[in-house]
Amino acid sequence: MEKASRTILAVAGVDKTFEGATRPALDRISFSVEPGEFFSILGPSGSGKTTLLRMIAGFERPDVGRIIMDGEDITDVPPFRRDVRTVFQSYALFPHMSVLENVAYPLRMAGARKSERLAKARECLELVSMGDFAQRLPHQLSGGQRQRVALARAIVCRPRILLLDEPLGALDLRLRQQMQHMLVSLQKDLDIAFIYVTHDQGEALSMSDRVAVMSEGRISQLGTPREIYFDPSSEFVAQFVGRSNLLPIECVDRNGAITALLEGKPLSGIAAPRTGPARMAIRFECVRLDAPDRPADGACSIDGTVKDVLFLGNALEVNVRCGGLNIIAAVPAASEERFTPGKQVRVLFDANNATVFHG
Amino acid sequence: MMGWPVYAWFVALVLVPNLLLVGASFLRTRSGRIVFEPTVASYARLWDSHSFQYLLLKTLGTSFGAALLGCLIAYPMAYYAARVVRGNRSILVLLVIIPLWISLLMRVFAWRMILGQSGILNTFLVTTGILAEPSEAFLYTGFSVLLTYTYISIPYAFISIFTALEKIPHSLVEASQDSGASGWRTFRHVIWPLSRPSVAIGFSLAFLMTVGDYITPSMVGGIDGTMIGMVIASQFGIANNWPYGSAIAVCLLVSVGVVLALVMWFGQSKGVLTGDEGAQPASSGPQTQGGRLLRMLANIAFAIPYLFLYAPLAIMVLMSFNESKVQAFPLQGMTLQWYRELGENAAMLDAVQRSLIVGFLVVLVSTVAAIGFAFAIHYGRVKQARFFEFALAIPVAIPGVVLGIVMVLATQLVQIPSGVARIVIGQSSFVMPVILMIILARLRRLDAALLEASMDSGANHWQSFVHVLFPSIRGAVIGGALLGFTLSADEVMVTLFLSGTAPTLPVWVWNQMRFGFTPSVNAIFTLVGVGSLLAIIICNRLVFRSQARRAEA
Repeated sequence: MEKASRTILAVAGVDKTFEGATRPALDRISFSVEPGEFFSILGPSGSGKTTLLRMIAGFERPDVGRIIMDGEDITDVPPFRRDVRTVFQSYALFPHMSVLENVAYPLRMAGARKSERLAKARECLELVSMGDFAQRLPHQLSGGQRQRVALARAIVCRPRILLLDEPLGALDLRLRQQMQHMLVSLQKDLDIAFIYVTHDQGEALSMSDRVAVMSEGRISQLGTPREIYFDPSSEFVAQFVGRSNLLPIECVDRNGAITALLEGKPLSGIAAPRTGPARMAIRFECVRLDAPDRPADGACSIDGTVKDVLFLGNALEVNVRCGGLNIIAAVPAASEERFTPGKQVRVLFDANNATVFHG
Repeated sequence: MMGWPVYAWFVALVLVPNLLLVGASFLRTRSGRIVFEPTVASYARLWDSHSFQYLLLKTLGTSFGAALLGCLIAYPMAYYAARVVRGNRSILVLLVIIPLWISLLMRVFAWRMILGQSGILNTFLVTTGILAEPSEAFLYTGFSVLLTYTYISIPYAFISIFTALEKIPHSLVEASQDSGASGWRTFRHVIWPLSRPSVAIGFSLAFLMTVGDYITPSMVGGIDGTMIGMVIASQFGIANNWPYGSAIAVCLLVSVGVVLALVMWFGQSKGVLTGDEGAQPASSGPQTQGGRLLRMLANIAFAIPYLFLYAPLAIMVLMSFNESKVQAFPLQGMTLQWYRELGENAAMLDAVQRSLIVGFLVVLVSTVAAIGFAFAIHYGRVKQARFFEFALAIPVAIPGVVLGIVMVLATQLVQIPSGVARIVIGQSSFVMPVILMIILARLRRLDAALLEASMDSGANHWQSFVHVLFPSIRGAVIGGALLGFTLSADEVMVTLFLSGTAPTLPVWVWNQMRFGFTPSVNAIFTLVGVGSLLAIIICNRLVFRSQARRAEA
């Protein structure tokens, strides 16, 4: 029982296939969330992440499997009796109620007295710095303000689990970054478990304690942001999280040791489990560029020609043509070196930054 | 495109006619002729007349009650169609709207057949032994008027409520449940406040449709069911006292205005719905035995109002093939005799021809005007566009009997004789705003950059209209024109005042019915009903096809 009390939410073997769909929306999903954890579900659209969130909220029923909250099976509990709140992607603010009434609504449903619920709602609005907007109606607010009201409404009852469905999706970049900081500090202050659904890997990596990467209704990988980023367990994760070169390699047996060949050239230090064709993922920022005559110093290297350069402000993305391959390197924009198309360069990367996948 | 035709239409067909009504109410008559002496005599007479006040209150009360009952029946129907049923939703909606397209006369007449002393209801009750002899309590009472008004009200209430319920984003319902509200409390705190304004609109529409109705009371009302519309009509007919009739009409207009203002005040709701997604019924889990039973009961409950809407029409069609002259079950055998009689009736064929001519002219005038006005309003060529958009629609909101006399006064003033010309002017006054609203709604959904892109590509205004704008509103124009045609073809209340000795088909039928009943009437109505249905189907096809083509592109 000790383990159960350490888990606030457990999803156990959940399957879901929608009527008329050919493949399942959720396929044998199992994971658990600890109290006060910031847990993200990351995946492209159509990967089933929103379905999963709606199932935890109680808006969908699993075909198979259970949802267990704090040791109690809530699979058949209707949404309005679950101690789970949701921040909806569309915010779903009630258009006919003022900001204050919106935030007080869950307290009203819980039967709180009017004076008490208004006081608590005001307090909560202060928490998201929306205290000055209490009497406005939702359509008089900007997107970022609506977002914060939706957040206030979801946390006013202090649920043990807060679900967030791409809450920052409709905001512009600057606002998104501000909101990320706010969410993280709010989560620490309130000590509520956040389950955060997003397709934006930046959001997932920056805020979460753990991330579940979903693809086609399954969890591809579950781990800390660091593990997901530096040790992707599949080609899909490597491609989806961060920006990676995916290079075809050939693994051959040479004198009893398996050696990886890139464009026929052996790569020192790359460990491959078996022979045959494979693909190697290497992140843009793990690729270095140097003059062609410099020594490789034990790193893997391949020579090529600069095709084009993107200026990204903090970095340059340099596309290098190496034989039949394109390798992209992200190098600091402030570096002395000038990369102009046509320039001969040497592409370098360390073997421990590369991950090999056998198709 | 200039704004002046809009102003001219407003002055000629809205402002002057209504001022004439008010003006006429302050005149007096002497030996049947209007004398131009300002007086408040008519109003003084109304002030003292208890029977008038009683009649006004009874009329308002009956219409109010019918609209209320209509909303009570329509709300669950609309809720079920908009938020419970998945798939086939448009058919459910269409089925409620279709009776609107079928002649009002026909629907009222069908009720007379059901409620009459030798009617279906009595026959049924007597043969089953519930009653010893046919009762007179059903027809020619206040109750029969209320029942028929309710019947008329349901589709208007339904359309308005359905549109509102369908627009409420499902995420709001989920957000409410997520906040801890059960189904009933979600309805009370979220769904109901958000749909209340539309209930008020549907209620008002239904109220307007019945409050100026003098057809229904004179067909099913008898002495007890007399309504104020009949009194107004008679002042412009047999009694021939226009100033007095005008004064009653003004009183009716004012009290209707007060009632509607109260209803709208009750219906108002704060906030603006900004949700983008519509209702998406929640996917249901595996069904339990009890759930299935409940669903079946709900389906049955849902079907009952449909029966109420269609039973009268079905009975009428059945009777049109019945050999006996008595409108009662059991049927006496199948015959086409009544249809054959129609073909030999020259007066009727005349009326049909006139109806077609009137319909064509009304649609032509109204559609051309509506297209021009819509563009002028939408592209800012009209000052105070919001006001004029609203003002042009005033005739739609004037009770039928009042609009009828208003148009009589206006056409009399400029010496247009009764007949086709008068009818076309009178009908256009309320057909044009309907088409205008449809086209404007379409224009407002159009990408504003379309016109700019066309002009950017080197097209002038006219070329842009021909090649870009008109093709994108064509569906709305055709739909509006067909709707306009059915409105015109079915119209009785206004037309009756304007037709003189040149009746359109509904007016001719109305005259026939007053002189006595012949089963041929069933046959005409069946044909008219089939014709209306065909028009809807064609209209639907056209709109649907243009949408499908757009979806393909």
